[in-house]
Amino acid sequence: MTSTRSATLFALALLAPALIYILTIVAYPLFDTIVLSFTNASLRQEYDFVGWANYQRIFGAGNFTEVIIRTFIWTFFSVSMKMIIGMCGAVLLNAAIPGQTLFRILTMPPWIVPMAIGIFMWGWMYNGQFGMISGLLQNFGLTNGPIAFLAYGNTAFWATIVTDVWIGVPMVTIYFLAAMQSIPKDLYEAAWTDGAGRFYRFRRITLPLMVPAIITMSLLSLIATFNSFDIIWILTQGGPSGSTTTMIIDTYKTAMGSRKYGEGAARAVVISIFVTIFCLVYFRAVRKLQQGEAK
Amino acid sequence: MSQLSLKRLEKSFNEARIIKGIDLDVSEGEFVVFVGPSGCGKSTLLRMIAGLEDVSAGEIEIGGKVVNELPPVQRGIAMVFQSYALYPHMTVYENIAFPLRVEKLPQDEVDRRVGAAAKVLQLESRLQHRPGQLSGGQRQRVAIGRAIVRQPKIFLFDEPLSNLDAALRSEMRIELMELHKRLGSTMIYVTHDQVEAMTMADKIVVLDAGTIAQVGSPLELYHRPDNIFVAGFIGSPKMNFISGTVASADGSNAVVDLGALGTIALPRTNTAIAGQNVTLGIRPEHLSLGDGQFSLDITPNIVEQLGIHTITYATLPGGENFIGLFEGNPDLVDGKEVRMGFDISKAHLFDANGLAVY
Repeated sequence: MTSTRSATLFALALLAPALIYILTIVAYPLFDTIVLSFTNASLRQEYDFVGWANYQRIFGAGNFTEVIIRTFIWTFFSVSMKMIIGMCGAVLLNAAIPGQTLFRILTMPPWIVPMAIGIFMWGWMYNGQFGMISGLLQNFGLTNGPIAFLAYGNTAFWATIVTDVWIGVPMVTIYFLAAMQSIPKDLYEAAWTDGAGRFYRFRRITLPLMVPAIITMSLLSLIATFNSFDIIWILTQGGPSGSTTTMIIDTYKTAMGSRKYGEGAARAVVISIFVTIFCLVYFRAVRKLQQGEAK
Repeated sequence: MSQLSLKRLEKSFNEARIIKGIDLDVSEGEFVVFVGPSGCGKSTLLRMIAGLEDVSAGEIEIGGKVVNELPPVQRGIAMVFQSYALYPHMTVYENIAFPLRVEKLPQDEVDRRVGAAAKVLQLESRLQHRPGQLSGGQRQRVAIGRAIVRQPKIFLFDEPLSNLDAALRSEMRIELMELHKRLGSTMIYVTHDQVEAMTMADKIVVLDAGTIAQVGSPLELYHRPDNIFVAGFIGSPKMNFISGTVASADGSNAVVDLGALGTIALPRTNTAIAGQNVTLGIRPEHLSLGDGQFSLDITPNIVEQLGIHTITYATLPGGENFIGLFEGNPDLVDGKEVRMGFDISKAHLFDANGLAVY
């Protein structure tokens, strides 16, 4: 009994630094944000508890619902494109082609380049006056005049998605490539001796065996993309006219722009609820996949 | 006419020559075993026949037609892999049906063929299970089932039993032999286990470093090995080899000087070996306790009592290992000298190049 107790104490002592760290930088700020979301905190020193007023305000009036829908659409397209392009990239990188190593190296820059630099680069490419994309479109006669992609709501929305996809694809590709390479070669050889062509092998062997990797990566990417801040903030700051304002941008603007800390905290809590749901789905999926493997 | 012919077949990976000009004919319905140590090229040869490896030089003919450039599916072969290569996400039914789905056969034909294969392989109650839920032997049967449904001309097996434990391996060995009898198909089987080769084959092909060391029936290889490699590879425990010099060879007898062990006169007509360094071979099971036509005094280092057999291990004055295998449980003790003898007719002789002298 005593030895069990001392073992528990020893385990707790070992865990203590990590627990203190998590409590300090995760639990406390989360708790404080929740408390703050029920107040009218702003730049003033004092603030009052206002109950559900902040939540009533963000859901009752204004465009928060619109922001939520936009965030989901933005996230959906970004994650879907990352998955599709990542899968295509992995298939190509996995193919026995000359210069395979070079191509593998070439996939990495978007991931390696500091994110802010990559985003600025895209900002210049989207520029209407000297941007490469507008220039190319004009040179090929596809547009009559310059297009400032970040100046119009519609194009800015897609431009931010494209940049997010560009940054996110390498990780998805490498992850899918690793998953693909873990599929035993024998399975493909067996299918090949049975007459299965490339596409058939991909459809009936690769894809089904990659389902766990696809689910895991989709959910991880969903969580990261949902909270993607830097790309939109650097490119458009949520504009023009709020067309690229997602929940995280909206929260930042409310809290740090308008200095409405209480209302910003309420928006942050809503984001946390969504992300918590995604995480729960993720953990559930991982557990199910592990159970499936055990079978 | 042979069903499969290999003509001057070669395979190189960059500079390394793995298969060095192999000629072989396999008749319809034969059970042929490729056997040899690791790295001898037996699996590569099988994969070349399957169409999984390109041919560097030479020809592969199946049914009289050169198939070098044909994809596996057009060669009329089916292959069973060492790892079974079962699709883990598919049921046993779908695994067996896979080649038929590729062919886009109608569902009732798929049902019929899968059902027939499952019946032969006693997998009927397992059809809806996944491979992960099966034992090693059952997985092996599923892999065979997937080969059977294609109704191939030639079955290729790449060390199919090597992942099974000893008991299951001998059980599956018998099942495979029964299957061969029932289907009457040509089977080519790769193994490094000479017991599998001896028990299953109609014809054994012993491979050594990318060349054929000998082709023959199991008993031919056992009784009349062409060279010292085959003599040492076939038989368990392996043949004892004793170095010596031919003191004289008069056309009827060759007298071999075995140094401290004495001289032995063997009936050999070859006179060219006179004066050569040679190797005398005698199988452990051909030794008997007590005097024989030739006798040696041996002091075993280790004595293994296996119940049915007793095996002794010793080192000869020349440094060679010397194994004896005797029936039952004779009174043998480590470190105690014992006289062993053998019949001269059982002795093998190999010349300086390792070729058998008969």
